[in-house]
Amino acid sequence: MIADPQTVAEHATTPRMKMIAELTTLVTTTPWLLSRKVLGRAHAHGLSDEDVLHLILQTSYFGHLNRIADATGVPLDYSVQLQVPAIDPSCPPWPTASELVAGRPAIEISRRPTTATALSEWRNYIFHRDAPVTRRQRTLIARWVATWLGDGSISPPTDLTVNPLDDHLRAVAEVITLAPWKITDETFEPLRDNGFDDAGIFDVCATATSAGVFSRIEVALVALGH
Amino acid sequence: MGLAIIDFASSRGVLRDIYDRMRERPLPPVYRPAHGGVPGIITAHSLDPHLIAKVFGTSTTLNGAGPLTWPERELVNATTSRLNQCFY
Repeated sequence: MIADPQTVAEHATTPRMKMIAELTTLVTTTPWLLSRKVLGRAHAHGLSDEDVLHLILQTSYFGHLNRIADATGVPLDYSVQLQVPAIDPSCPPWPTASELVAGRPAIEISRRPTTATALSEWRNYIFHRDAPVTRRQRTLIARWVATWLGDGSISPPTDLTVNPLDDHLRAVAEVITLAPWKITDETFEPLRDNGFDDAGIFDVCATATSAGVFSRIEVALVALGH
Repeated sequence: MGLAIIDFASSRGVLRDIYDRMRERPLPPVYRPAHGGVPGIITAHSLDPHLIAKVFGTSTTLNGAGPLTWPERELVNATTSRLNQCFY
């Protein structure tokens, strides 16, 4: 069992596996810090552009599953035989990007057309609805998440008026995106106090974590060219 | 703690139809839950049944294909979970 989550890459057994763990760590924690230099190191460790694209998509996707599992508190399907690692709720949130990443992706997602189509359908479903969360609220959440992750392909939220309820939405989206290990029932209390039921709260969470998937992929693929 | 989760036994209508489709998906035996129902991570999306198809439709394009090998994908998944301090 690896006690310190930040040292996962150090425990990988081969140079290629070590590189995979290192890239996964960057995509999860600070995708805007990926760079052409990092891509070059990945190539030197035997990873092709297609490998790196798969890794970025897989990492971003699995981060969604983590966050939905944490938000709902779903129990495991199996008994754990190994020592379960302890959650450290005092662990600080992931950092936010100091600037937005924009430009052409170093690796085109169209190299995986079926995945690109599936993600497009997912995005359309999440953002083009009016209930339970309104379309405006979905847009706000997506813009906040994009800003935190450094996604320059989406307008920042500064041109939208924010009301007190929006502040509660932002707080939930922030925990979901930057510190999912801190999610507790108290995280959702302000939304419940404002009339959100479980389906509404789930929609907020799903919107935030979906936005995180799309922005994380965008930022990672663009940053690899810088 | 958490949000409402509708399991397979309690599911009706659209959700049951989607659960049935998810159970019919080809899946390595190791991923099939011993309880015989729908994997928990799918039921975790039960408050938005239509989202299940979108999310796990994406999963199929990633997990059923390379170029990363199965062990390499598992390394990515495990690393992501450990970093996010998630048991899933």
